Parts: sequence; structure tokens; C-alpha cells
Amino acid sequence: MGKSFFKTRVVTLLAALLLCGIAGAVNAEDELDCLLCHKYRGLSRIDENGKFRLFYINEAIFKEGPHVRIKCADCHQDIKKIPHDPAKKVECTTECHLIEPSGQKNFSHKPVSDLLAKSVHGKLDADGKPKKDQQDYPGCKDCHEEPLYRPLSFFKGKSSGVSERGLARCQTCHRTGDFAESFYKHVTSRLRKMRDPKEIVGICAKCHGDKEFQQRHKLDDVVTSYKETYHYKALLFGSQETPDCTDCHVVKGEGVHFIESKKSPTSASNKKNVPTTCRTSECHEKAGEKLAGYQVHVTYDKDKYPLQHYMLVFFTWLTAGVLYFFLTLIFLELLRRLFPHYSFVKPTGDDHHSSR
Amino acid sequence: MLGRLKQLIGKLYVIALMAYAIWFGYFIYPLIFSHGGHEEAAQPSAGADLRMPGALTAEEKALHKIRAEQKATETTDLGYVVLKEQYVKGHFHHIGMTVETDETNVCIKCHGAVPHNKAKTIRAFLNMHAFYIACETCHINTMAKPDQAPWTFRWYDKKTGQVVANPPALVSPDLEKYGNYGTKIAPGTQADNGTFRFINGDEERLFLAKYLKTKDAMDSTEQARMKRVMHNKVSEKPLLCEDCHNMEKSYLPFAELGYPPRRIDRLENTAVVGMINKYREFYLPRFFELHGEQTQTPVPR
Repeated sequence: MGKSFFKTRVVTLLAALLLCGIAGAVNAEDELDCLLCHKYRGLSRIDENGKFRLFYINEAIFKEGPHVRIKCADCHQDIKKIPHDPAKKVECTTECHLIEPSGQKNFSHKPVSDLLAKSVHGKLDADGKPKKDQQDYPGCKDCHEEPLYRPLSFFKGKSSGVSERGLARCQTCHRTGDFAESFYKHVTSRLRKMRDPKEIVGICAKCHGDKEFQQRHKLDDVVTSYKETYHYKALLFGSQETPDCTDCHVVKGEGVHFIESKKSPTSASNKKNVPTTCRTSECHEKAGEKLAGYQVHVTYDKDKYPLQHYMLVFFTWLTAGVLYFFLTLIFLELLRRLFPHYSFVKPTGDDHHSSR
Repeated sequence: MLGRLKQLIGKLYVIALMAYAIWFGYFIYPLIFSHGGHEEAAQPSAGADLRMPGALTAEEKALHKIRAEQKATETTDLGYVVLKEQYVKGHFHHIGMTVETDETNVCIKCHGAVPHNKAKTIRAFLNMHAFYIACETCHINTMAKPDQAPWTFRWYDKKTGQVVANPPALVSPDLEKYGNYGTKIAPGTQADNGTFRFINGDEERLFLAKYLKTKDAMDSTEQARMKRVMHNKVSEKPLLCEDCHNMEKSYLPFAELGYPPRRIDRLENTAVVGMINKYREFYLPRFFELHGEQTQTPVPR
């Protein structure tokens, strides 16, 4: 291939790329015009392990999350050109181009990762050795999909979504670009949980509801036992205030990624700390010591908790006995009303005479 | 008379109460004996769907997992809107839109809706095209036989397989669905009397349905012969990307199919053609040679 031909090609392709960039200017951060291909829903394949790999990006939804402010290549750092080589797994702890305002440093999720590493979900033990069953310890994507804002409006009463009037006040001064709206969504989303409590329970249940996982780690079925509590019933009715897993299990004063084993003296679920956990502000602030003095996650494993198991069996049969006894009684009473004169005993001649 | 009527009503009332007592006994049973996770099993979550039963082989587990994943959905509640979307394990970005699956194409009944996996460089792109272009558009001899009228291309409805109008989403940016139109382009023939028939039309669908129903009763030789017959229209060499994405003459009549000039320009000129050229120039000089001559160079996707 001649040098001049190569140059011509490069210039042509650069021009093509430039035009692609103009056409794809909808998303300012899509510098490589990734959406030229990735906006198509069918961009996918099935890999060697039978896993469905989808490469589609829903631009409208993507714009509703904090990642809209970063470039695709900030996370997919190995992609420098289009068409690109197979994308490597994204490392969430790498620094992106955003400047974290409080420290004036490039933003990174590393502090979160560090917090997770020292929690019960960390892959290394206290001695720095890999824990058994490494595959069971979560990475970022095991619990997180692309985060989305959950903005709040409290301009006149609290409700979900962006307050147009509230936002208009911000935009009086902050006029450039979508800074005000983005900032509004970011801050108000952080004033509440970024995810619905039911979703959080579902995320924890992916592992903690798995019977094989429970057996491997000798854990109780805490998902089922949680679902039998008043807390979960309230969630089913749409409550956002009722506690999900993270409300009770995160170490006080720490981020949600710092959950410790209940054996740890600083754990929120350690027996000594449970009353404090329940008395967290916005929960049972004035509760006494014994509010959670019982076993919160009641598990009925026969070998592990024989007392609870036999209590359950006793009360189950007591309930069934009482209910079915009276139900049978009612049924027989109704039967008698239907056939008031019927008898299994045939009247004899003597009865006939005596009745006369 | 009135007395008898009262008696009858009374008896019916008692019978109704008896039926209620029986129903109540049946209704209350699972509530009394449901402790220990039965309640949860009745309403499995996306995660719960994917749990592996213990006594299965690795292959059975994989099958179970694939079937569970296929129907799993997840919900994201943003307070002001709730997203319910397909759950794809390990997929970080939200999918959002619901996919309209092709229920009529004869090829995908066996080959599936995501059939391309050989050409590493372009398999994802080919699958992307398979979302709105029927297999036979590229995989059947590109030119009609001399005694046939030339191919005419039409959109068909993925649910019914019948001809439909060009998708409005092509011309309206507000309706844009990026390939998820619920329709696909397929070739057919237009008779002199104006009637249009897809190459794979009702007749072929019926034939395939019959074959799939009876194939288990055939021996392997019969099955092989049938497959040969069914694939006799399939071209050895499928259509190439540049047959449509070129600046001279596209194989597909984009304008007739409802594409607006802006998009035709993009498909035939700068962006797509540029990318194809880049692929060819810098990465895989022979990547289009799909039949046994693929390069071993590590390539995208």
C-alpha cells in the first residue's frame, strides 16, 4: 500500500469520523460516536458459554443517571478507536476525567471499593489471604447496574421527580448547559436511597437467598425470615421508610458498602449494637433496649435452632387443630340443619311405640 | 307455597355456608403450613429464578439457567417512573425497551434470533441487522432466477408475517426505535397482477411447521435430506456489507423501504461505509470471507 494512498485513506476516515461526531452530537460525551452502533437494540451475540451478550445502550435512560457526565471511554478505557477490539472488563476504581469538587482530584470509585474490601463482603480475610469460595464475594456489577437518579421535589410538599419551579430558581444563576438540572438531580437523589428498598432486598437475595450459597457459608436463610417480618410486609405496601437489609446491617456512620459480620464487635447487627441500630434517627428513636431483644431473623432449622423449630411445629398444629376442629363442628351443625330428621340409627318398633 | 319457598331458600343458604366452610378449610391450609419459604417460592424474584437446584448435572444446570434468564425481568423504581425491563445477567446498562420478537421467520425457528457467531469481527453487527432484516434477505441468492421476476423488498410484521407499510419510525425522530420496529425487511416477488409473495411466505411456514412436528419420527438420513431440500434456496455466499453500504448502488432499495434521504446518505456514504473501510484496511483484510477462510487475528466482539 502506497504511503500517499494510506494518507488519503486516513484523511478520508478522519473526515468520516468527524461527520459521525457531528451526526452523533446528541450526546456531548459520546466523542467516539459509540452510539452510531450501540444505539441499535439488536447489537448482540451469544458467546462460547451460551451467555447472551448485549451491547446496546439505551441513550434516553443513560441520560437519566450520573454517568451521563462522563465519556464512554472514561470507563471503557481500552477503547481508543472505532471499530474497536474486544472491550475489557470495566474497572470501576479507575479515575475518570471528572474532578471531585471537595478534593480537586479526579473522581474514582476507589474509596467505595476500599470500603467493600474491608467489609464482610471483601475477597480477602484479615490476614490478606483470599477467602474460600471467591466466586461468592461480590464485585461492583454483582449488585449494581447503571445507576439512575431518583430526584425529589419538595418545593411544595414532598414528591418524586424534578421540581420545575425549584430547578428554575437554580437556573437563575447557573445558566450554562445542563449543570443546574444535573446538580439538582444528583443532590436530591442522594437525599434518599438511590434504590427502592424492595430492589435492595432482591439484590441481597441473589446470593443470600440461594440455598447452595447458604450451605457453603453456613448462613441462615435470612431472606425468607426477613420476608416474614412486619418490615417486609410494609415494603410490599409501598413504604419507602421501612428498613431493608442495608438499614440494619451497615456499620453506623459508614457508607452502605461497609457491612460487617455480626460477630464483629463494631457490627450493626452484633447483639450488643442491635438496640443502637434500631434507635437510629428516623427509625425507633425512643425504643427501649429490648425492642430487638428477640431473634430478629427467626429461622426454623431443626438442627441449628431446635427450640424455634419445635415451637413452630407446635403452633402450626395448634392453629390447624383449633381451626379445623371448629370448622368441622360448623360443617356438622349446618348438615344437621339441612337434614334435621336424618339419623344413622334406624328407629325400632319400640321407639315408634314409645314415641307415641 | 310461601312456606315451601322459605324452606328452599333456607336450605340453599345452608348449602352455601357448607360450601364456604369447605372452601375456607382449603384456603387456610397453605397459610397455616406455609412457614419456611413456600410463600417466597410462589413469587420468585429475578434472582430467585436463577437459583440452581442441587442435584442437576452441569448441562442441566446450564439449561435451567438459560431458560430462567430468558424470561427474567427486573424492575427499577425511580419514584416518578418505574422501569420494567428484560434481565440480562452481567449487563450493566439499562435496556429499557421491550423487544418485539420475530415469531414468523422460518430460519430463526431453528437458527434462533441471534444466529451469527462465526465471523468474530462482525457477528454482533450481523445480529444487529437480523433484528430488522430477515435472514433470507442476505442469505438467499441475491439475484432472482432468470424465469422469475426480480426480488422486491417489503417489510413484514414479526407477529403475523404479513406485508405491512414502511415503519413510521424511520422518518420520525420522535418514534425512533433503532431497529426495534416490530417489522423486518424480506425479499419476495411481485406478480404481473400486482400480488406480492415473500420468498418465505405462508406456504414455507406451513411446511416448516409440518417438518418440525414430524422430524422426530424420521431417521437421521431422512432428516438430512429434508434439511438439504429446505436449504436449497440458501446462497453459498451471503450478501456482503458493502453490497448495501456503498456509494454507487445499494442492493436494498432504501428509499422504497421508507428510509429518509438523511439516513440513506448515512448508510451509503460517510459513517457506515467509512467504518467498513476502516475494518478492511486496518484490521482484517479478508474478514468478509465467511466460509472457512477467516483470519485468525484477534478481532472485535
